[in-house]
Amino acid sequence: MLDIDFADAGVVMLKGRLDASQSEKAQTFLDGLDQASVLDFSNLEYISSAGLGVLLRTQKRLMASGGGLKLINVNNHIMDVFRFSGFDHIFEVQGAVDP
Amino acid sequence: MNEKFHRSFDSLQQIFDFTERFYTAESIDPRHRFAVNFAIEELFTNMVKYNAGNPHRVLIEMEQMDGELVAHLTDFDVDPFDVTAEREVDTESPLQDRQIGGLGLHLIPKMIDSIDYDYDEPARRSRITFTKALR
Repeated sequence: MLDIDFADAGVVMLKGRLDASQSEKAQTFLDGLDQASVLDFSNLEYISSAGLGVLLRTQKRLMASGGGLKLINVNNHIMDVFRFSGFDHIFEVQGAVDP
Repeated sequence: MNEKFHRSFDSLQQIFDFTERFYTAESIDPRHRFAVNFAIEELFTNMVKYNAGNPHRVLIEMEQMDGELVAHLTDFDVDPFDVTAEREVDTESPLQDRQIGGLGLHLIPKMIDSIDYDYDEPARRSRITFTKALR
């Protein structure tokens, strides 16, 4: 399951799993963004290529209008997926701080 | 441990529930679970996308053997599709040149240790086996 909603200061919080069964829900929410935005991944446990597609589609749309996504508090597993897919070069990505 | 799953993205939650039961029963270290779930989702959803009308369920089997987690996904009454074939995906290109889709099968070998594909022609059965070292 995936929860996605605005938190304080317009930051978008994602919680749960961004897999193929949840990508449409995430895409519908992110299609509503019309400016540069921060996605907080501190409670996002998992992402698959379906989730990467959602992020890429949103980034392309926002960058075309001068915006873009910043992904913060990304866990080590998701960071690995970003590195393997080269997403760390096309997004501003900030890893989670170890406790 | 094995179970069959309906050919639908909506089966993913049941699949992750199944893998969690396996991890718990076999005391699999949590740091290995993301990669295994990733590989299973990508392989399963590939079967869903390219044989949507097939009524047969997909069989997933998992076992722990000789320090490795071994997973098998078997698809019935399908044409051959070798998921291990080399697929060029440019992960260096700038944003405007990036294609949406195609990353899943490219990423799997980076997450696990081995993957094999077998097709039984008379039975029209595809079987994918991958391993993840539990070191």
